[in-house]
Amino acid sequence: MNQTFVFSRWVMLVADHWAENRKRYLLALLAMGGLLAAWYGFLLTIDKFGPLNLFLQYSAYYFGLYFIGCFYASTIFSELGSKSRAIQYLSIPASHLEKLLCGILFGVVLFFLAYTAVFYLVDIPMVSLANRIIAREHQHWPGTFEPISSVQVLNLWNNPWAPIPDRKFHLFLLGYFAVQSAFLLGSVYFTRWSFIKTVLALLLFWLVFVLFTDKAVTERLPDGWHAYDMLRWYDNSDNTAVFRMVRLPEATERLLILVIQYSFPPAFWVITYFRLKEKEV
Amino acid sequence: MVNIQDFSFAYRRKPIFRGLNLHLEPGHIYGLLGQNGTGKSTLLRSLAGFLFPKGGRIDVLGFEPRRRQPAFLQQVFLLPEEFHLPAIPISRWVRHLAGFYPRFSQEQFHRNITGFDIPLEGSMQEMSYGQQKKLLISFALAVNASLLLMDEPTNGLDILSKSQFRKVIAGSLDERQCILISTHQVKDLENLIDRILVIEEGRILFDQGMDTISQKLTFTLSFDPEQTAQALYSESSLKGNALVLPNTYGEDSRPDLEMLYKAVILESEKINRVFKP
Repeated sequence: MNQTFVFSRWVMLVADHWAENRKRYLLALLAMGGLLAAWYGFLLTIDKFGPLNLFLQYSAYYFGLYFIGCFYASTIFSELGSKSRAIQYLSIPASHLEKLLCGILFGVVLFFLAYTAVFYLVDIPMVSLANRIIAREHQHWPGTFEPISSVQVLNLWNNPWAPIPDRKFHLFLLGYFAVQSAFLLGSVYFTRWSFIKTVLALLLFWLVFVLFTDKAVTERLPDGWHAYDMLRWYDNSDNTAVFRMVRLPEATERLLILVIQYSFPPAFWVITYFRLKEKEV
Repeated sequence: MVNIQDFSFAYRRKPIFRGLNLHLEPGHIYGLLGQNGTGKSTLLRSLAGFLFPKGGRIDVLGFEPRRRQPAFLQQVFLLPEEFHLPAIPISRWVRHLAGFYPRFSQEQFHRNITGFDIPLEGSMQEMSYGQQKKLLISFALAVNASLLLMDEPTNGLDILSKSQFRKVIAGSLDERQCILISTHQVKDLENLIDRILVIEEGRILFDQGMDTISQKLTFTLSFDPEQTAQALYSESSLKGNALVLPNTYGEDSRPDLEMLYKAVILESEKINRVFKP
């Protein structure tokens, strides 16, 4: 018998997880949809001219995704926080890899799909309602003849309202998976208050990173040189229109962007796997 | 089946085991006795792969428990003292969990829960602690694990359930299986275990089979001061002095586990001397 991964055993593990948690998950999805509908309803009552514009949909989607997704990820291995539950969980005859993949399936894949589905199930009818309100009540901006354009449904992959790094590199969406995978690791690493402790750990890492870029990199730049972004530096010392920029070779830059975009989740999953394997209760 | 060599374990700076050696054979029910904090639960969790040795080696059925491989987990079942059952109906829980254990017997499970008089309807969270424990015992036995580790299994069981527990365990064991029961309730294990292990300060203080104990020791009540003076261990009671004596005349006496345990803890040298070949 393969001791690392057997598909049928993994399916049993998934079925077992679903059997134990389906009620909680379905109620949580219902609550998520209800909260979003309530928030949109509130926006519709306070703004009759441009309700539910793309920026509002965008911020609602990402706020919910980051907050709920990270909170949920921090509970994926919450069994390990209590001795009795940890023994019950770890004694299920499945490998650590199968247990991790089950956690990733529910915490990363299915959560993302379910959250996005619930978002659009609420978003599409609410946007249509917003457009009916615009058409019925105010077809022009107040005091002008400028027509109020209808509201569009958010396109996650191509949103003109998104900040440039997100439009170009889908940084918010891919960043979500990176941050969420850190919370997944936190759920194995910290036995209690894993959400709060992971937030603090990430803030600490962020602080170290900011200090590093500020003290170790920016302070070592020649006079007049500044960081343009993480991978580019520019000079405006003579305050002229001449703009000099230093950047990494294109191939290296592309490689680094790919690493930043895609490498964090698998790296955190690998650490989570070893942490799970070495877990003692 | 179980081979522990030079096993050592410590919680941070508190050493529990130093150089423990132990060998368990199939076909036996072992009673693991010891005072609080002597490492009974630690030993069980180490055997089940939930705690890792700091030194030495544990071999269970040819597996290294700390790796927690599926084939190992299928054959070793730990019934912990504190446990958690999900808030779902029994039937759904059993249907999903039983699939992981190739030797699980539905028929045996139903026989056990019927014997324990557990209602099959409703969520497991609505059951009392005792009922949950009986359910878990029923499941643990139906798994037919080669090594079944039970930590204080009779805690929380009423008198009738304790008797049923003994009956169910005795009827479940076959020659391929080994059961290790850790308990403070030594009376609950009478007529059940066939070998006693007493641990004290991280070492095995006493390890003997019940037959050998019957041959070497006798347990009696007596008012006779001469007999009391010869006792390896004595304890006064209203019915007379409870004595543990060397079985010099080959008398047939049923071991009193509680007396034996106290004798081993308080007079270990005297007791072990009797068992020296």
